[in-house]
Amino acid sequence: MTSSHQNRARLAAVALAAGALVLTACSGGGGGGGDGKESGPATDKNKSSNFTIGTEADSKGPAPAVPGAKKGGAVTVLQRDAFNHLDPGQIYYSDMLTAQMLYNRSLTAYKVEPSGKAKVVGDLATGPGTASDGGKTWTFKLKDGLKFQDGSPITSKDVRWGIERLYADFETDGPMYIPQWLSGDGTSFRKALPDGPYKGDHLPASVLDTPDDKTVILHFRKPHADTPFATAMPNIGAVKAAKDTQRKYDNAPFSSGPYQVADFKVGKSLTLVKNPNWDPATDPIRHQYADRFDVSFGHQLQDQTRRILAQQGADKNAMSFSNAVDPGMTQNVLNDAGTKARRFVEIQPYVDYISFNMTRLKDVKVRKALAYAMPNGQILQQNGGTTAGTIATNYLSPAMDGYQATDPYGKKAHPAGDTEKAQALLKEAGKIGQEIVYAYRNTDVEQKVAVVVTQALQKAGFTVQKKEVDANTWRTAISQVDNKFDIYRTSWGADWPVPSTVVPPLFDGRQIADGSQNYGHLDNPKVNSEIDRINAITDIKQAAPQWMKLADKILTEDVPGIPTFYNRQFSLWGSGLGGIKYQPVYGTVDPTSVYVK
Amino acid sequence: MTSPSQAAAAGAGGSSPLDPLNITPDGGGDSGKLVGRSPGQLMWRRFKRDRTGVISAFIVLFFLLVAVAAPLISKLYGKDPTTTYGLDRPGLLNEFGYPIRPNGGISGDFWFGIEPTLGRDVFTQLVYGIRTSLLIAAIATLLCVATGVLIGVTAGYIGGRTDYFLGRFIDLLLAFPSQLSFVAFTPVVYSLFVSPEKETPTYLRVMTLILVLWLLGWMGMARLLRGQVLSLREREFVEAAKVTGASPWRIITKELLPNLWTPILVQTTLMLPTMVTVEAGLSFLGVGIVEPTPDWGRMFKAGADYYESDLTYIFFPGIAMIIFVVAFNLLGDSVRDAFDPKTNR
Amino acid sequence: MLRFLARRSLGALVIILLISAITFFLFFALPSEPALMSCGKNCTPDALAVINKNLGLDQPVPVQYWHYMTGIFAGRDLTVGHCPAPCFGYSFSNQQPVWGTIVDRYPTTLSLALGGAFVFLIVGVGFGMIAAARRGTVVDKLFSSLSLIGNSLQIYFVGVIALGLFVSGGLRILDEPGYHPFTENPGKWFMGMLLPWLVLSIIFVANYTRMTRSQMIEQLGEEHVRTARAKGLSRRAVFFRYAWRGALAPIVTIFGIDLGSLFGGAMITEFTFNLHGLGRLAVSSVTETDLPTLMAVMLVGCTAIVVANIIVDAAYAFIDPRVRLA
Repeated sequence: MTSSHQNRARLAAVALAAGALVLTACSGGGGGGGDGKESGPATDKNKSSNFTIGTEADSKGPAPAVPGAKKGGAVTVLQRDAFNHLDPGQIYYSDMLTAQMLYNRSLTAYKVEPSGKAKVVGDLATGPGTASDGGKTWTFKLKDGLKFQDGSPITSKDVRWGIERLYADFETDGPMYIPQWLSGDGTSFRKALPDGPYKGDHLPASVLDTPDDKTVILHFRKPHADTPFATAMPNIGAVKAAKDTQRKYDNAPFSSGPYQVADFKVGKSLTLVKNPNWDPATDPIRHQYADRFDVSFGHQLQDQTRRILAQQGADKNAMSFSNAVDPGMTQNVLNDAGTKARRFVEIQPYVDYISFNMTRLKDVKVRKALAYAMPNGQILQQNGGTTAGTIATNYLSPAMDGYQATDPYGKKAHPAGDTEKAQALLKEAGKIGQEIVYAYRNTDVEQKVAVVVTQALQKAGFTVQKKEVDANTWRTAISQVDNKFDIYRTSWGADWPVPSTVVPPLFDGRQIADGSQNYGHLDNPKVNSEIDRINAITDIKQAAPQWMKLADKILTEDVPGIPTFYNRQFSLWGSGLGGIKYQPVYGTVDPTSVYVK
Repeated sequence: MTSPSQAAAAGAGGSSPLDPLNITPDGGGDSGKLVGRSPGQLMWRRFKRDRTGVISAFIVLFFLLVAVAAPLISKLYGKDPTTTYGLDRPGLLNEFGYPIRPNGGISGDFWFGIEPTLGRDVFTQLVYGIRTSLLIAAIATLLCVATGVLIGVTAGYIGGRTDYFLGRFIDLLLAFPSQLSFVAFTPVVYSLFVSPEKETPTYLRVMTLILVLWLLGWMGMARLLRGQVLSLREREFVEAAKVTGASPWRIITKELLPNLWTPILVQTTLMLPTMVTVEAGLSFLGVGIVEPTPDWGRMFKAGADYYESDLTYIFFPGIAMIIFVVAFNLLGDSVRDAFDPKTNR
Repeated sequence: MLRFLARRSLGALVIILLISAITFFLFFALPSEPALMSCGKNCTPDALAVINKNLGLDQPVPVQYWHYMTGIFAGRDLTVGHCPAPCFGYSFSNQQPVWGTIVDRYPTTLSLALGGAFVFLIVGVGFGMIAAARRGTVVDKLFSSLSLIGNSLQIYFVGVIALGLFVSGGLRILDEPGYHPFTENPGKWFMGMLLPWLVLSIIFVANYTRMTRSQMIEQLGEEHVRTARAKGLSRRAVFFRYAWRGALAPIVTIFGIDLGSLFGGAMITEFTFNLHGLGRLAVSSVTETDLPTLMAVMLVGCTAIVVANIIVDAAYAFIDPRVRLA
């Protein structure tokens, strides 16, 4: 998924997830001497071992009560970027992903414990789904007592409608795993049902079957072991046909969760109130403590942080789903002892990379020299420092299943880059003075990053041509296969914490095409066949360590890019709120158990 | 829309015939001839007696000198604007990228402190930033003045249909919300110049900004001069020149222009600081000069990002700009007074 | 008068049309892909083509322009739905009717402009008159120097310092700047706008002080004013009845023009204080290559300027009967 970006970068950022809030404003937290160690980020709770697939028992409601939680009160939510979608079918950004948890239920969902452990459990379904036919067929049974906000029951027909409407041509923004697995790769799946369900057509039972009101059966074209994760995307839920206003659904979705949309002013505010027809006994994840969520948009990080820090009036009950503390105010927050109980810094599933364009940089020694020379620590510093991330040492995020802390290029020991090794490699290759075209998106932070990257590369013996690219065209520019750039920042946020959502899209050579995520253009037959082999393993727990091994092999032998930092989420909320926890899959604040003290 | 400074300039720039700044009493030139000294000499004598004027002239000169001699200053001072001292030397920036020493890291080594996050020297950043901004503003001003004079004099002297169409053209350009147009059209102009692959040379960016400032900056001057020429055209000495069969070119250069120097010079001294502030405003809004070229205006944007943890940073570019603009305005006043001692000031 | 208004309105219409056309066509010279805005994470060329079609971007530019302009008066049917007049299209970035956004943002711009203008007009003219009345005294000199410094202040400097000093940092004496609808809570509205008004007006006050002062001094020297004084009218009466009236016209002119430009949105002020008015909308429409929004903001901005000019000219004739409207 993609975390919500700087206002306008949203789009350009699409695939380049990560970076999140960091990209705004300035960078570098603040001042005050070197006591940050103590008051600084705690140990990261978000680790690979946290993710498991739950059982039917885990999927039973109600959610365990939060100690000390009270009913009533209104939660103020300050967001920078306006939500441009409420339709669960269109949602793919972390801020909206977080918001929809309150009013939308999907087949499966993540149950997050206060310890940070996350389980995939049945949400509408009674469990995480059962596979048959070698993982090609997945069956979900719906729970009893599920209702929409008008009290009408949720049946398998509503889930079918929810999936089929994704085939309509206006549903362009959301993740399309399930439709693609069912009906065809890329956009070809739309041909299976060109108008969605709106003209009375439905997918054949051989593809999507609803034999009775409680059963949904998905028949994929190939086995997919990570189906429970894919059905946890918000668009695999229930949509009531009679209330489906198609495009206009984006402004007034019909709730299946504990809250419903009372008022939505596009670009301004969203008010969520209690949904009286939501039955806590069916829901293993959500609570309905607060009476209301008053979400408002357009708060820059600076004024949002200032307000929550000052806590005047209603700001005492203020939080943000996805906005981080302003990097310029890190010091103010960390030095304020009173914030200790109302902040967290956690690893997000987003990783920043500098991709090396292998179409142009054919010499592996040059790429290795680049990898050694890259000043990860300084790049992170420009992006906001320790509260914005931590130095990356390999391709997988620590929040990814199977992650191991390997560091083949010594990034921890050389945060400013290993100039000597880089120089030696470059000399060995006989390419001292090699010209590198470094493309970067033209934003404040990226301009500063360009300064440190250029410096480090020059020290190592490269000549650097900096090419700034307009933020609007950035993504198209670098995703053209025949682009004329050598290195560029990319990033990737896995949609779920399984490395099969990282290694294949980033490194499968058969994926290379305009717009694909294989920005380094790695096309190694050995890697491709290895990807196929691991993909075929049906136990994802068994596959995870093998993905890790493959990722490290690519990093040390092929070097299609170097990871720079793992993103962190630095959240602050008002002291009037309780029950706040980290949502490790979206990298945001989980609002489902928030209460007003 | 218009920034206040622009509005001020628009007010001063003669969109109305009423602004006091534009009222130039008849023929400073004639009175000069009576005494037998050239108007220039007279003006110089009066100017020298105006202490405020002389001081501001020195300040303005100082800024120009700083701009021109930036490399020399940097050499004497021993630092340059691009080295990231804070990143290279431990002990200057803390782990969050902010100066460890109080007041923005001011010290004997770093007179104006250290820039947060990148750790560059603020003093040389400012010196070089002034250089960039002044260069852009000065060239844009010169182009605007030249265009304004050309179009204003043409419209006023030829009159008739030419005057009408030029007037409507000016109306059209004046109706563009100026700042919005700067923001909207700068990317368009960039895209005209920029090669999609190679690094955009700084001079292209500079040229783009100059071009945009020029396109929407000359109208005030043109209007003002048109009005002046219209009234001068009817005067006896011009009529006389016409009767003696002087060519239009001769009339314009020998008869009209000498009488227009006052408004031109006064307007120019007012326009230059306005251009500096407008250019800074563009950088503040994010369409100006990019890193790593130092830029005065971009320092304000950076300052706005850093102020929560380092308020000191923004004071240096800010106070420098106030001094610069005040000095220029005072100089403009003095120049006007010197040309034209009768003005009520 | 009617003829004057008719003629000027016609001229204004031509100007607005020309500006809209220039904006529209220049937009397409930008290297951008507006469709990308609504194309998700796995955006393919096919998906892009569909969106381009939805946005009407597959048609020739002049046709698009024609549809846009006629839509303002007649409304139009878009793939997203019917858009009633005045239709400024649907935003490329959030697929909402642009007109709704403008209507939503305008109160902020209006509050900022009117409140700021009120402050700078009252304070500026007041200072100017005091300075003129006490010409040559310490007060006069003080106001002159103040106005000189005020004239050289920039919002991106003063605003940031003000925020740093009064809103955060040591003195937390002012509320976080922001717009709260007047109709909901006038007190909050006032407190939220106070700092932006003050900072915005600091920059204008200088100009008005200077102008009022010099106009008043000039008027006091005029013959009819001197005659009135000679006839035995009190200094005060002359000052307020005669001189003031003469000085009013140029002030009204400049004020009208300033207000006209503020009605188009004050970008730097809005950015500094995180207000969401037209100025901010304008900048975001540029960065998001959101043509319908950019067009709408441009049209509102230039209409405000052109209308302000007409009103000023008409008012001028009204205040100063010596001026004839041609």
